[in-house]
Amino acid sequence: MSVEAQDYASARTEVARRPGLTGPGRRAALTALTDEWLTGVFARATASVSDPFCLVAVGGYGRGELTIGSDLDLLLLHKAGAAEATRAAEALWYPIWDSGVKLDHSVRTVSEARRLAADDIKVLLGLLDARVVAGDPALAEQLQGAVLGDWRAMADRRLPGLHELVTARRARFGEASQLLEPDLKESYGGLRDATILKGIAASWVTDVPHVGWQDSVDFLLDVRDALHRVSGRSGDRLVMQEQSAVAVELVGVDDPDALLRAVLDSARSIAYASDVTWHRVDRLARSRQRTAFRPLRRRTPNRLPLADGVVMQDGEAVLALEAHPATDDGLLLRAGAAAAQAGLPLSPHTVDRLAIEGAEPSVPWSRSVRESFVALLGAGPNMVRVWEALDQAGIIGRLIPGWDVVRSAPQRNALHTYTVDRHLVETAVQASALTRNVDRPDLLLVGALLHDIGKARGGDHSEVGARIAADLAARMGFDEDDVRIIVTLVRHHLLLPDTATRRDLDDPDVIAEVAAIAGSVDVLDLLHELTIADSLATGPTVSTDWRFSLINDLADRVRGAMAGRPVPEPPELTEQQRVALAQSGVWVLMDVLDTTCVVTVAAPDRVGLLALVAGVLSLNRLNVLAARVTTVGDRAVQEWTVRPAFGDPPSIEQLSDDVRRAVDGTYDVAQRLARRDADYAVTPPGGYPDPQVIVTGGGSRGTTVVEVRAHDAPGLLHTVTTAVAAADASIVSAKVSTLGADAIDVFFVTDAEGQPLSEDRMAALRVTVLSSLR
Amino acid sequence: MKLVTAIIKPFKLEDVKAALEGQGVHGLTVSEASGFGRQKGHTEVYRGAEYTVDLVPKVRLEIVLEDEVVEDVVAAIVSAAQTGKIGDGKVWVIPVDTVVRVRTGERGSEAL
Repeated sequence: MSVEAQDYASARTEVARRPGLTGPGRRAALTALTDEWLTGVFARATASVSDPFCLVAVGGYGRGELTIGSDLDLLLLHKAGAAEATRAAEALWYPIWDSGVKLDHSVRTVSEARRLAADDIKVLLGLLDARVVAGDPALAEQLQGAVLGDWRAMADRRLPGLHELVTARRARFGEASQLLEPDLKESYGGLRDATILKGIAASWVTDVPHVGWQDSVDFLLDVRDALHRVSGRSGDRLVMQEQSAVAVELVGVDDPDALLRAVLDSARSIAYASDVTWHRVDRLARSRQRTAFRPLRRRTPNRLPLADGVVMQDGEAVLALEAHPATDDGLLLRAGAAAAQAGLPLSPHTVDRLAIEGAEPSVPWSRSVRESFVALLGAGPNMVRVWEALDQAGIIGRLIPGWDVVRSAPQRNALHTYTVDRHLVETAVQASALTRNVDRPDLLLVGALLHDIGKARGGDHSEVGARIAADLAARMGFDEDDVRIIVTLVRHHLLLPDTATRRDLDDPDVIAEVAAIAGSVDVLDLLHELTIADSLATGPTVSTDWRFSLINDLADRVRGAMAGRPVPEPPELTEQQRVALAQSGVWVLMDVLDTTCVVTVAAPDRVGLLALVAGVLSLNRLNVLAARVTTVGDRAVQEWTVRPAFGDPPSIEQLSDDVRRAVDGTYDVAQRLARRDADYAVTPPGGYPDPQVIVTGGGSRGTTVVEVRAHDAPGLLHTVTTAVAAADASIVSAKVSTLGADAIDVFFVTDAEGQPLSEDRMAALRVTVLSSLR
Repeated sequence: MKLVTAIIKPFKLEDVKAALEGQGVHGLTVSEASGFGRQKGHTEVYRGAEYTVDLVPKVRLEIVLEDEVVEDVVAAIVSAAQTGKIGDGKVWVIPVDTVVRVRTGERGSEAL
């Protein structure tokens, strides 16, 4: 006695509701019931035909992963003529349609199915899971053998296309492990990626990680079953509204946070297996390209240096042969920063090596380590995958104690899109586009990363976070003043939006209150940009023009109430500079400290001197971290804090010889820099915020102040100072600082007569400097 | 039944909500709005660039009420939203034919 359509529908509902069944048991029962019913339908539909037919389940039904909401994905294989096949198919599909079950159907001969699979990779993946439900198994075996053979023969050519599909889906559905409402099937790390992993394994192109993700797949299937049962729908997005009910359905306990954390962890393990697998696939594809097409002259060398101990190879950042992760405690973050700044992924092998052997930076972090960290944070969207790789390997958790509390932490709030950790990373990404609007990009980026660090701990997250941030900022080696600013940013990161939307901005007391908390225009600017980055990283509901117009209005009013921005003061002479001032001619001194060097130069002043020395330093592969330049009478004294970009610093003899020859004109700095730039093959990915040049009058001692904010690059200072000299302005003094990947340079200039620049010359100077940076 | 629409300053939303609760109103729709009335726009200097704000951010409230409570509710909104300065907003009332509660299909007063 066969199961009739009506009986099938009610039996299906019964299985779906039967208490006591576990996830796999329920899926097996549902599949067995469906198989039994379809066997009967198939027997009746093909009773009067003599040719062989075979009913094949493909996709999820083929894998036995039916839920109450699933479609039946069926393929009727035949050898018959078109007319007879159509007759049999109609007799088969009508009873299924009548039962109300959703049906995805096709009728093909073996060769048709094979051809379609060869053209459409989605069809192919579905057929890899084909399973005979009823009829002549020989047809199905023939198809399966052929499809698998074809797949193995062409997988290396088809996988790049599949990777593009995966990337597009990832962009559209997001990463399951970081979303508060992940799509269990389509988000990256969801069930579809598990199916693809199995497909890649079947292709024999590369190995797929065996452990760690199979249990995750079963768990996600269980969650999906429960979601379909409680929602009564077939959608796969685990929306917040259903999370409580799904938790109860699945484990009998109303703990949606525990459910979501478990789902995110599972998705993370599938995503990680996928990352590793795609990485292997892409490497294979690249190596095949190289062997297939070998130009006579290699255009780019195999390994290009990115930073000390870090090189680019095969489109990835890897450790250089001479790198020592166990003893070089700056390498970990330097590698991360170099990869992110160059827009490259860190190779998984490098990440593993850093995780196992890498020395953690000693606490408090040195200036170099902190700079690397800020450069990593400031790298923009490129930073996310580097961060995720380091986090996945447990490195971030070691560098930032307390990070693990926010990692994958759900937030139950209709405004948020991401988990707490991903929100923090996203805020840093958004902040990296706003660094030109503040005079301390490093504090903005670190504030962005830490602003919600107090979440998932109970209590007021701003207060809790401020305490944690105080410890972390000190650990990162920020001085007391900077720690205080970071703490203010974390404690008051909601000050501007809350005030702007809930308080009367016409009330002078409200404005005064905000001004008092910020304390200075600089901190207000930081709070303002942090608010914008935070809103953009939270979700569309809080980043409306409406809300931004209120926040900007408030910030403007507070800026107006504060006495305005103080004009920067030129630097005082240091002890070292006083010594240098007493020397005659061109005089160079170099002190080698732990990871940095201090270079002091004294020389007769002239227009363009600063540009020459900056160029010599750059040609000697010395990155400028800070500089103070002062002119006393006709002598200029410059104190440079520099760090060798690679390996050891040059000898003092070589450096001082280069400076002398540059000053007397026998060493052509500009030409050598141009040649070096042409050879420097790693082009940065760009996407940085545009440089900003602010020229203001009223500097002390009758100077005009030129402030330049730009993305740091080799030779930047030479470029800027050359432009200043070209505009016929002489630099009386200067303060230069590099903060992560950003340079903030302030020059105090006069005209040839030692007078402040006229309005016209100020405007012209701004244009000249700005165009030199483009 | 009447539809009461109020345009108020954003920071007055909490006060108006409290006043409405005092009047026994427990449901309202809030949306972000911008516009201008007699207040017109104003000119601002932001990061050195002068620009004109011609649309001022406001909050828009909508409430459907029984005829007999409308006057009290409007009075409550006005007194809660008032600062006495220009730009405080407006409240207007228009008749409503019918209301349906989507969940149950109830109509008219039942649905309020």
